[in-house]
Formats: sequence, C-alpha cells, structure tokens
Amino acid sequence: MSYVTVGIVDYGMGNHASVIHSLRDLGFRVRVSADTAVLDSTDILVLPGVGAFPAAMQALHQRGLVGYLQQQAREQRPIIGICLGMQLLTSASHEFQYTAGLDLIPGEVVALTGAKWHIGWNTLECVDSEPLLQASDGEAFYFNHSFCYQGPSEYQACITRHPASFASVIRRGKVVGIQFHPEKSQAAGRTLLKNLILGLTHA
Amino acid sequence: MLKKRLIGVVTVKNGWAVQSFGYRRYLPLGKPECLVENLDRWGADEILVQIIDRSEAGLGPDYELLGRLGALGLETPLIYAGGIRTVADGVKLVQLGADRIVVDALLHDDLISVKGLSECLGAQALIASLPLSWQGKSLEWLDYRSRTSTSISDEVLGLIQSGVISEVLLSDWKNEGIPDGFEQKLVEEFPLKDVPIIAFGGLSEHEQMRMLLQSPRVTAVAVGNFLSYREHAIQRYKEALTGMPLRLATYKSTYSLIADV
Repeated sequence: MSYVTVGIVDYGMGNHASVIHSLRDLGFRVRVSADTAVLDSTDILVLPGVGAFPAAMQALHQRGLVGYLQQQAREQRPIIGICLGMQLLTSASHEFQYTAGLDLIPGEVVALTGAKWHIGWNTLECVDSEPLLQASDGEAFYFNHSFCYQGPSEYQACITRHPASFASVIRRGKVVGIQFHPEKSQAAGRTLLKNLILGLTHA
Repeated sequence: MLKKRLIGVVTVKNGWAVQSFGYRRYLPLGKPECLVENLDRWGADEILVQIIDRSEAGLGPDYELLGRLGALGLETPLIYAGGIRTVADGVKLVQLGADRIVVDALLHDDLISVKGLSECLGAQALIASLPLSWQGKSLEWLDYRSRTSTSISDEVLGLIQSGVISEVLLSDWKNEGIPDGFEQKLVEEFPLKDVPIIAFGGLSEHEQMRMLLQSPRVTAVAVGNFLSYREHAIQRYKEALTGMPLRLATYKSTYSLIADV
C-alpha cells in the first residue's frame, strides 16, 4: 500500500495544528518544514496561513521559499493553499499595500465588495464539473476573511456569495487555492481535503 | 448564503470549566477539554473558550490550556477570551490554535493595542466583549474586574464603528445563567446599528434564540450553561430552530450506520 505524504510549508504564519490533525485523521503522512529537502520528499505541498498578506510574503522570502514554490508549480507538483495560503498563490494583493504574490494563479487579492468581512459558514457552489470538488458542491464551510480573489473566470472553480459572489476555490493545473478553512469545517472539510489530495496526487 | 451561528461557550475559572451565574456564582463542571471536545463532536458552529480569571489576576492568556485544546485536533473554529494584554499575546494565541480572539479588559485599558491586534491579525479575527445591562434608561457597560458599570465611552464605540473589530459579544451579564433571562432590549438599544452582534447570557429557550436570530443585527447566539444539561444539546437546539438561517444539525459518529453482516 502506498501512503500519500503531505508537506506543510512552515513559514511561521498561523497555526498548523488543526491542519496536521485533519490530514493525519484522513490517513495521510504529514511533514511540517521550511526545509526544501524535507518538502521535496513529500507528494503534495500545503500552504496554510493566517494573518496579513505582506507579512506572509516577507516570511516566505526570508525562508527562501518563494522561488522554491514557483519551481515546484512549474514541475507540476500539486500545491494546495488554504485561506491566506490561497491568496499567496495569486499574482498580488492590495491588503494594506500592493504586494506581489507567488503568481502561480493569475489574479489579484482585493477587499470584499458589499461587506467588510466574511465570517462563518457559507455554501460552496461549483461553477463547472470539477470532479475533485463535485462531492462538496452545496456543502457549507467555515470562512474568516476580508479579502478575496479577483481574476480570470477560467481559474475560478467554485464561488460563494456574500452577498456578491467571489471565488472560494481557484485552480490552475495542480495548484489549488481554498479561501475557507477545510480543517475547521468538520465532516464537509474532511471530505473536501481527502478528495482534493487524493485527486491531485493520483492524477 | 452566509449562515447565522450557534456558538458553544465554555467558561473556565481556576483551570476548571464552570457554570457561571450573573458573573458572581460558579459551579464546577469538569475539565474544559471534555466540554470543548463535546461541542466539537456535536457540531457547534464555533466554540468560545472564555477564561474569566486571567485579566483580574494579571496572568495573561492561558497558553497551556490552549495548547491542550489544540492537541485535541478540533474541527470547529475556536474563539479564545481571557487575559489578552498585548499584540504579542494575540499573535501567540493564533499561533497556538485560536481562530479568533475576544478582547474585554483591553477595551478599558489599551485601545492602541486593540488597533494593533486588528492590524496584525485582521479585524475578522477580533471580537469585542461588552458585558451590558439596562439601567432604567440607558445601557451600562461592566468592568468585571472592578464590578463597576459606566456608559460605553465614545472612544470605544468609535473604535468598534471604525471596523477595527468585526463583531460584538454582547453579554447580558446580570441574567447570565438564568433560563430565558436574556434581555432583548440590550440588542435593540445597542447604539451601533450596523455592527454584527453575538448575543450571550441567559439564552436557554429556542423561541428566545429564534427572536434574536430574526434580527438582522444578530449574527450569532452563544450558549454556555444550558448546553451542559443534556447530550447533543447543539443538535437539539438546531432542530428546534428549523427555518432559521443556521447550518443544519450535524452528527459525527465513529461508528458505521450500516451493521456488519
């Protein structure tokens, strides 16, 4: 039996405990590191994050992870960004100031329109027949953010409404960004994480 | 559509989960971890852990407890309250597993740090706790450390209104622990009309919760003591609140519903 090993990119922003627990509960092996040699030994990278975009990008730069993550995406390595981690996958953010992102998925991070923030459980709507996410269509997940993705519709896999619609899951090839917290979304989150990780690593 | 929330509250004093009555009388319930684990299993929309003796004693946040809660691998968003003194405290709490934090004493003592927390963690991570009571013709704001009430200062109201804080935890502290005790007038008379409110204190009946949840100002109701009297209390409340914009009751079981044959 082959195990999937998930590498959590540790760049010092936010809390990894819930992500680690969720992944281990699902039967995945987990490594948490900023060391590229350790991350190289894993099958898929997860970029979590809580906090502000500029500080997070600075932390990635300080650890020499920006070029590494860009190279991994070019090599078609699966990468999942969660919440702030999703926003880091984009070209840039306007949070506090204009800050360049990892640019793995074209588009920018802008303030929500029609609301100052988006806190609580809200529904996911798949915009096309994305097989990895189909089982999560219509399920509620936990959101906690005030900025969101704005970019080409071709990269928007799922939307959520608050009240205007915004992209809650974005995808370009094997790079996927999730605006909500699957690790804090109980059964719905577990199902989504499992389907995504198995789907991306076995594709 | 964004759902309204039913938040499970665990109140901690001297390291033990307690039932709290009117901010003055306490009955022990057991280990906080056990109650939090139950709420996680029962599908609460968020869990608030409030440690009520940290600021008063100048002890700072209870990182040890938060570490133990983090080790449970909770799948429910966790809100932490108690003893937050500085921006560094808030950052550390988030690193240890809190998804959001509540400030109370800091609103009396140091508004600059409240702003700093918001800049560092984002307003969505920050909740203002306002223990209120209705005194004749006006709202009074309790400083639980000195047990004195005053009107809410314009400075604090201005800070909340400015968007530094995402929600107000409006506690009916006098009626805390009293069944059906929550005074709706506190919500109606709260002066900031467009600030989302989490109602707490004396919420025991689903009809009372329904009335609150029908208010566009109320984004969540929080229940503490009344979750402790029966199993699966969260699901039962949610079932009784059918028709409200709440997430449906969820059931988590480690056992298959299909018998092995």
